[in-house]
Amino acid sequence: MSTPARPSALAAHARALSARLGGQQVLCGVSLELRAGELCALVGCNGSGKSTLLGALTGRVPLQGGEVTLGGSPLAALGARARAARVAWLPQHPPSVEGLTAVEVVETGRFRFAEGKEALRREALRALERVGVAPLAQRRFEQLSGGERQRVLVASLLAQQAPLLLVDEAANHLDPAQQLELYALFGELVREGLAILSVTHDPSLLHFSDAPTRVCGLQAGRLQFDLPLTDPALGQHLGLLYGVRVESLVRAGGRPLWALERLP
Amino acid sequence: MTARLGLLGLLLAVSLALAPFAGGLPAGDAGDFVLVQLRLPRVLVGALVGCTLALAGASFQTIFRNPLATPSTAGTTAGAALGALSAFAFGVGQEHPWGLVGFAFLGAALASALTGAAAARGRLRDDDVLLVGIAVTLAVSALTTGLQAAADEGALAAAARWSLGRLPQVGFEGVLLLAPLVALSAAVQLAHARPLTALLLGEERASSQGVAVSRVRVLVLGGAALGVAAAVAWCGPIAFVGLLVPNAVRLGFGGAPRLLLPASALAGASFLVGCDLLARLALPGRELPVGVITAALGAPALVALIVRRRR
Repeated sequence: MSTPARPSALAAHARALSARLGGQQVLCGVSLELRAGELCALVGCNGSGKSTLLGALTGRVPLQGGEVTLGGSPLAALGARARAARVAWLPQHPPSVEGLTAVEVVETGRFRFAEGKEALRREALRALERVGVAPLAQRRFEQLSGGERQRVLVASLLAQQAPLLLVDEAANHLDPAQQLELYALFGELVREGLAILSVTHDPSLLHFSDAPTRVCGLQAGRLQFDLPLTDPALGQHLGLLYGVRVESLVRAGGRPLWALERLP
Repeated sequence: MTARLGLLGLLLAVSLALAPFAGGLPAGDAGDFVLVQLRLPRVLVGALVGCTLALAGASFQTIFRNPLATPSTAGTTAGAALGALSAFAFGVGQEHPWGLVGFAFLGAALASALTGAAAARGRLRDDDVLLVGIAVTLAVSALTTGLQAAADEGALAAAARWSLGRLPQVGFEGVLLLAPLVALSAAVQLAHARPLTALLLGEERASSQGVAVSRVRVLVLGGAALGVAAAVAWCGPIAFVGLLVPNAVRLGFGGAPRLLLPASALAGASFLVGCDLLARLALPGRELPVGVITAALGAPALVALIVRRRR
């Protein structure tokens, strides 16, 4: 990998990660660098190891080999709070929880901070506002729509104020307009200096972040490619990865869309 | 919400003030004796036991993310009962109340650890935890029955008087025994309201937010087990308080542990004092074990809860 002219801070460095789950090799020697001010999209078929890689980066998945450093410190040496100060994670599946209000859900993201009730509430409301769902604050979480819940959970992710966000298919449950909004928000955050790793099946969304973006393709636990979003060969690589034919349709403004077709 | 918590506190204060006088008192010195040596300790122990059982129920329901998880369904109560019965069998039960509590805590902690460990290691669905808890309860109860069969007559009689769950007593020994244990148990659980809220949203998520999940689990389950063990050791197993009270409280206060835990503790104390009053007054001249009243109220409530949940 070429060294950028002005290297930005390394939010996470994964070196040759290997992991087994339930007797299956799910990660084989995956190396990845996540930098501040960069959006990294992780693509791959179902079962290719995307969520496991996120698990390895938060220390939830035991590693057979390799090492993860977060902000320069080895992940294995970090306590729970120190880890939470370096990386926040939005799981793929929203929790089923009853009896909590939206703002109480967001407040769980502030666990790592020792702060009073007022400060806690203020920060949680700010995070809800950032995601555009401040009016939901006092609603019961279980009574919200799927899209509303997802946005409350994104607010909880932001409330943790970690420099690295790991996001597992966050656009699920969102309607198209909200998906664009979400990636626009990711773009804002990245331009503010966060690093974001986002698992997605829809690379066309990435343009809406309007931020430096890489796309990493994972197949059977191996990293197949790691390319800038603007790379002209990306369409072909995506096609190989998903086993489909991919045609790039370049629109005005230079944002390509990908049209998928079945292989003959 | 804080105002509603205050109301629960007021309700408890009123029940504590009125319950000793309910049903009238004999005239003269006998009246003083009944009031101070019989009724007052009974009401106070009832409040302490109700408080600790309901609080433990709220903690269990939160930690296992299941409204049907309680010390009774997770094996903790059965473990405490086995421990207490062992104390009777070894002859420590009658003479040494602290030994009795110690044995009960050992049993309660072991049984909770079994259920808690199963919940922590297998990626169990939340409902599976209940099945594990029930299996632990059945296994421990089988041991208890076996122990009863092997025990001698004297120990059996002592244990039988105790096994129904009852509050009548003379003097303040029980109050002095229970108060510090209940306070310690409550302090440990209430101090963990924030990590418990995070745990409600899932263990892995909580861990990524900075919660030391295993430590919280061990401390809260251990703290709850201590309270349950003390209550079971002194009064015998009293059913359904831990199930009924937190679920009723949740309807009014929501599920956030910051409110659910203290509200359950206050409501549980009032509830058991009320139930014991019914037990004392239901059959004039006879005593109904308070466990009969809580079970009679709790069993239909449990059914209603399951029906509501499945709808």
